[in-house]
Amino acid sequence: MTSAATAIAVESRSRYWWLVALLSAMLLAMTAISVAVGYASLDLGAAISDWLAGRATLPALVLVELRLPRALLGALVGFSLGVAGAAMQGLLRNPLAEPGLLGISSAAAFGAVVVFYSGFAGAFLLALPLGGIAGAMLATLLLYALNGRGAGTMALILAGVAINSFAGAMTSLALNLAPNPYAALEIVFWLMGSLADRSLAHVWLVLPLMLLGWGLLLSSATALDGLTLGEDTARSLGFDLGWLRARLIGGAALAVGASVAVTGAIGFVGLVVPHLLRPLVGHRPGRLLLVSGLGGAILTLVADTALRLLPIRPELKLGVVTALIGAPFLFSLISRLRREA
Amino acid sequence: MRIEAKGIAVGLGGKPVLRGIDLSLQAGEMVGLIGPNGAGKTTLLRVLADLLATETGSVRYDGTTGAAFGRKALARHIAFLAQGGVVHWQMRARAVVSLGRLPHRRPFADLGPADQAAIERAMAAADVSAFAERTLDSLSGGERMRVLLARALAVEAPMLLADEPLAGLDPRHQLEAMALLQRTAHAGAGVVVVLHDLGLAGRFCDRLILLDQGRVLADGTPASVLGDANLAQAFGIDVARGEHDGQRYVLPWRPIHREDETAS
Amino acid sequence: MTIRAALRTAFRGAALLSAFAVMAWPGSAIAAEPPAKPRRIVSLNMCTDELVLRLADPEAIASVTWLSQDPRNANMAEAARRIPANHGLVEQVLAFRPDLAIAGSFTTRNTVGLLKRVGTPLREFGVPRDLAGVKAQIAEMAALLGEPERGQALIEEIDTRLARLAQRIGDARPKALVLRPNGFTVGRGSLVDEILTRAGFVNLAADLGIDNYGQIALETVALGGADILILNTTEGGPPSLAHEILNHPLIGRLGDRLRLVALPSKLWTCAGPAVIDAIELLIDATTPPRDQRSPR
Repeated sequence: MTSAATAIAVESRSRYWWLVALLSAMLLAMTAISVAVGYASLDLGAAISDWLAGRATLPALVLVELRLPRALLGALVGFSLGVAGAAMQGLLRNPLAEPGLLGISSAAAFGAVVVFYSGFAGAFLLALPLGGIAGAMLATLLLYALNGRGAGTMALILAGVAINSFAGAMTSLALNLAPNPYAALEIVFWLMGSLADRSLAHVWLVLPLMLLGWGLLLSSATALDGLTLGEDTARSLGFDLGWLRARLIGGAALAVGASVAVTGAIGFVGLVVPHLLRPLVGHRPGRLLLVSGLGGAILTLVADTALRLLPIRPELKLGVVTALIGAPFLFSLISRLRREA
Repeated sequence: MRIEAKGIAVGLGGKPVLRGIDLSLQAGEMVGLIGPNGAGKTTLLRVLADLLATETGSVRYDGTTGAAFGRKALARHIAFLAQGGVVHWQMRARAVVSLGRLPHRRPFADLGPADQAAIERAMAAADVSAFAERTLDSLSGGERMRVLLARALAVEAPMLLADEPLAGLDPRHQLEAMALLQRTAHAGAGVVVVLHDLGLAGRFCDRLILLDQGRVLADGTPASVLGDANLAQAFGIDVARGEHDGQRYVLPWRPIHREDETAS
Repeated sequence: MTIRAALRTAFRGAALLSAFAVMAWPGSAIAAEPPAKPRRIVSLNMCTDELVLRLADPEAIASVTWLSQDPRNANMAEAARRIPANHGLVEQVLAFRPDLAIAGSFTTRNTVGLLKRVGTPLREFGVPRDLAGVKAQIAEMAALLGEPERGQALIEEIDTRLARLAQRIGDARPKALVLRPNGFTVGRGSLVDEILTRAGFVNLAADLGIDNYGQIALETVALGGADILILNTTEGGPPSLAHEILNHPLIGRLGDRLRLVALPSKLWTCAGPAVIDAIELLIDATTPPRDQRSPR
């Protein structure tokens, strides 16, 4: 009997790692496709061999300075949004929790805007993602304070609406007061979220902060499993809830804040991906983290590649595309939750 | 393992819930914690499990405080079954039960064969092996409760504190659960169960603690605790008494209408 | 409801109704006529500011917009600093008691409508699409301000400079691309397109089928085979997210294979006389070695 049980457990574990391997392979494939797709035809083979040989030809430059950063950033941002979404859902024990919906992305955008237009970002490069992180941290703390001990969906969504409105208003205020008279006009594009024409500098800027955030979030996997049965049971299983909350809030703020600081606000990734992948990990919140990260990266790259292939000009913004995918999804989710209630 | 509580006082929202509680628990005995609604049973249980801080007094585990004992060590020594059976994510039953092995996990290691064996034993004891692979939302309330009980048993801790584990169970499973808890106690663990059913409490528990308005009204054998005076004062009921198969039992019979109730 | 409350409500209703009536009344639909030589000119648009500052006596100008006082954005900032600024609000404008108000076609419709309704003489100026339009606008503005000779002089100066510049253009037609904030470029049919042509360039964006202002990806800029990349910058300006694209590392790396020319935005933001400076700057950038410049 015991060996049968062990067999089942091993099978469940190996199924999980097979899923991780599959998603990782899909991510690599999607990254390659994203690099291959662009606005002008690029001889990839020539570009890669040029680059490896150290020849700075035009195709090599375009590959390394434009296509590669875009694909890398898409994967990094997508991973961050996916894992942060899954973490928020685990922390707040609610499948509707998501950085965009809850106002964390808007607050991060506000932080980034303030830092940028006040000139700090020019003086001290790292200030930009740190500004985004500070904004995200404030929002997450506020959210946790408002939501308290797992209050219902209603309270959570209302808190998100409040934070979104407030962050939006404060962003407008900051733009109004900015020394640049055109700030309010040019911000419209940035706020819609985009990966276009970012550089490797952006990648290096946010990578360490994102890695730190991911580390904090992924290390909470078992604790999130424990939280399934409520806070008392989790504590009785030996988890330090205060430290867990700090890790989740800090990790989500780092991941989302750094992402928003370079790409603008991209939403719904953290809502759609965990929801789709949850049945594949047996609804275990701990296992959902890594898998959501990978899924989020894939989804972001797919959306970004699709908008480059669509013949619509001017090009759709990434945040708009994810909203077009995510909002109908949210509608169907809400109607299903209502039917079940 | 011994748990000793001295002078416990707890207030929630400004109102005193527990006042001046002294008691001690040890391995090998099955203790029933009974009392009317609002007497503070759940609060007391949470204090004993080191889940709630007290305003005054102390709780000692084998002579040391909870902090000194260590959170992880305490998790291996006390299993807590929360009231209400809330499960936030619809995991499979086996996965839920395996959560009970989390206090024993080593960092970066998965569950080993010893853990699997413990999980199997717990599921067999709670009679949930049949739906090990089913998700919780496909089970009835009672079946879900048994899965959660199995989760608590899987910890294999020297102390088991359970808050109303019989809620939602049908009579057969209630009897089986009480028998299971009794076996667990007599096998060497200390078991504290919050109960509403006086009949089951009287039959299966070695010792009863009767709480009323935040104080210990009586603490001792079922025979001594379940006297008419105690029951009248705590619950305001009259009971019928009987004997069957050599065991004494009580059966709540009717509420007592006190004269001073109408006068006040 | 008591009688007092009812009466109060009725009064309020009547007051509201009359206020609506006053606001909704079409008022005078005929624009008031400005004097032949206005002495209290108020300009509500940065581009009309520039023309007014060039053509009118400083004592005749009552106010220009605050935007013109920033040397990074405007061409006549020094002159503008000596004149009181306005933010385009009707109350401010009326406080100057203008005998002529000049607005752009994109000035808020409400402002324009209100000013007309209270009887302020107001004229609107659009954005010229080509150099001929620029010259026509100068003539029109000069006539309006009562300074036709100054307008004529300015037009003649423009023509002279254009002729001189045309002689400097060689036979080579370098291919050029313009990169503006937020990744925009200029395509066919815009004034900038004509500027490029006058500077002796071929506008690649026009070949790509972009009309007026459209977006261009950096990739296309890199792979488009341009000889010259014109970057629309604002030197020393405050931080601007839209300008970030102009700081992309790729552009620096491209400097090896094509010439980068920084062109201050202020020279062609307003389709005015300063565009000639833009043409000259572009020609200077591509004149033979003696004059070679690699700015940025």
